[in-house]
Amino acid sequence: MSSIILEAREIRYRYPRGMEAICGISFHIRKKEKIALVGPNGAGKSTLLAMFNGMIRPDSGVLLFDNQPVRYDTASLRMLRKRVGFVLQNPDRQIIAPTVYQDVAFGPTNLGYPEQEVKRVAAQALRHVGLEGFEHRPPHQLSGGEKKRVAIAGVLAIDPDVLVLDEPTSGLDPSGSEDIMELLDELNHEGKTIIISTHNVELAYPWVDRAILMLEGKILEEGIPEKAFGNPEYVRRAHLSLPTLLELHIELQKRGFHLQGKKPHTVLDMMQAIETLFEKTYSSASPGAITIYNVDRHSPESFSSWHSEHSWVSIGAMGTRAKQRAENERIHLDFTYGVIDKCILRALLGENSLIMTTETMVDRVYQRVDSYVKESGIPIVVNMMEGGLP
Amino acid sequence: MFEELLEDIAQKNGLREVNTNLKLATGLGAILLCLLSSSYFPPLFIALVLTGAILFLARVDPKTYAELFIVPLWFAIMSVAGIILISGGQDIFWKWNILPSFSLSVTRESINQGIFVFCRVLGGMSALCFISLTTPMTTIFTVLRQCRIPEIIIELMMIIYRTIFILMDQVVQIYTAQVMRLGYSTVKESIHSCATLCGAAFIASWDAGEDLIQAMDARCYTGKFAVLGENRPVERGPLLALFAFLSLSAAIVIFSGNSTII
Repeated sequence: MSSIILEAREIRYRYPRGMEAICGISFHIRKKEKIALVGPNGAGKSTLLAMFNGMIRPDSGVLLFDNQPVRYDTASLRMLRKRVGFVLQNPDRQIIAPTVYQDVAFGPTNLGYPEQEVKRVAAQALRHVGLEGFEHRPPHQLSGGEKKRVAIAGVLAIDPDVLVLDEPTSGLDPSGSEDIMELLDELNHEGKTIIISTHNVELAYPWVDRAILMLEGKILEEGIPEKAFGNPEYVRRAHLSLPTLLELHIELQKRGFHLQGKKPHTVLDMMQAIETLFEKTYSSASPGAITIYNVDRHSPESFSSWHSEHSWVSIGAMGTRAKQRAENERIHLDFTYGVIDKCILRALLGENSLIMTTETMVDRVYQRVDSYVKESGIPIVVNMMEGGLP
Repeated sequence: MFEELLEDIAQKNGLREVNTNLKLATGLGAILLCLLSSSYFPPLFIALVLTGAILFLARVDPKTYAELFIVPLWFAIMSVAGIILISGGQDIFWKWNILPSFSLSVTRESINQGIFVFCRVLGGMSALCFISLTTPMTTIFTVLRQCRIPEIIIELMMIIYRTIFILMDQVVQIYTAQVMRLGYSTVKESIHSCATLCGAAFIASWDAGEDLIQAMDARCYTGKFAVLGENRPVERGPLLALFAFLSLSAAIVIFSGNSTII
């Protein structure tokens, strides 16, 4: 287990002339964790998030960052804010400069980076969120999802260890929300700790490592998603709804189906549980193969030659740059979210599939498929696409 | 209520990628020549060339451009009518003595003067339109910095620029909400709604200000605003075009002298 990066001990906070927003909360967050704070409006989620980068100072209790108590003098706050990036709920409130580039460069400039370095990190941050070529656009001409990405890029440019996002998917369409969640996944994979607040249980449930259920300034339940979302009574009190998969699992068990293994996290887990239950095996067809198209290494030509031989496969793209590449090359995508699981599902049906992804995410595909193969004993083959490799 | 702002047109005009200094030089040079000229012809020539540039090079919608011209054009026509009637001269075409000490007249000199002023207005307007339709504000910040305008002023301008659009959004939303609930159906109602709109806009701007400080602090603000803006390199084509335009206009200014239309 990795070390603790953020810890709260009995923190309390009361708004001036208002009610107590945080009533004695203790918890800890480890490095590289994906955490979601969930709860109804007014539960104190945003207040708690604003404490993580020192924008709100608790009335009592201690907040520790990297095992040091947070100090509230200007210099310490600056250091804290360099390491804890905060993305506000409303990107219009977060974006302050007249062009996208100037906004993303705001943080690095204030940290005193030399001009060349500012240019480099800003370009890199924009590339990360898939907004290359948007440098000179004024923010008021962008769509909601694009604004959100600019806001995230502005924070990424200062390269924080922890990213705190208040309602990252609010006001976005379902596919936009999925894209943002995947971007956060990608960032997490690169080693950043991610803390979000959200109402969207269906998106949070398969995504988080741990969830913290909040109600009236207190922690109601905390733990792995199956546990945090698994208690119908708590979920109801927190004005949320059970994730569909968990509800289905509970209902099946009530009807006397004893599903094996852990509670389902994804559709794939559920399928596996049901299939073990009915002892259905894949004797009829051998499982399909998954091919990886690494957009950082493979050339578009090697893809088109591959695609001409395998024109009927499903294609999924994982990661912002992979999706961008697909758009540029006019590749029709069948999946854009939960890609690995969907490809495994296809493979189980005996169909082949292709995953477009970036260098950093290639391991992820192997890990996920390997762990599935170990668990289920069904041999699914992952290939690297041929050609273009140095 | 607010359809398309000039800034939005400027952000996607055909000359956006041309060096900002060249575009500003074109507009400002044109205004200067309009003022230096003492004949009606050079401003007219400048107006025609710049209008051509706006419509064909910058590809601005002709209708939008015409609408932009309507208000100042009305103003110009009224003033010119006044000038023609009031300013006197030797060669009288028509005269009306209203009062013993005051008369209205149309003379050769007054017509020439009126047309001269009118052409100047056209020339000046088209030059201003050229700047505002081809040069987005975001690129002007860079030029201002090159001109050694104090950083604090540029920073304020940048923040104001960004805030205008946020505030504008808010105002449009409140206004729509008012219209949907018949806020402007009677005169009395309109006054009331307008007052509420102003109040709400004030509160919104106050909030936006507080959020701005938070957003800046959250990204380690120490008093620096990235002004590393964009500017395109000076290219040969636009530079030659600018040079040709200004020297041709200057030549016309010199050679047309005091020539008049009648």
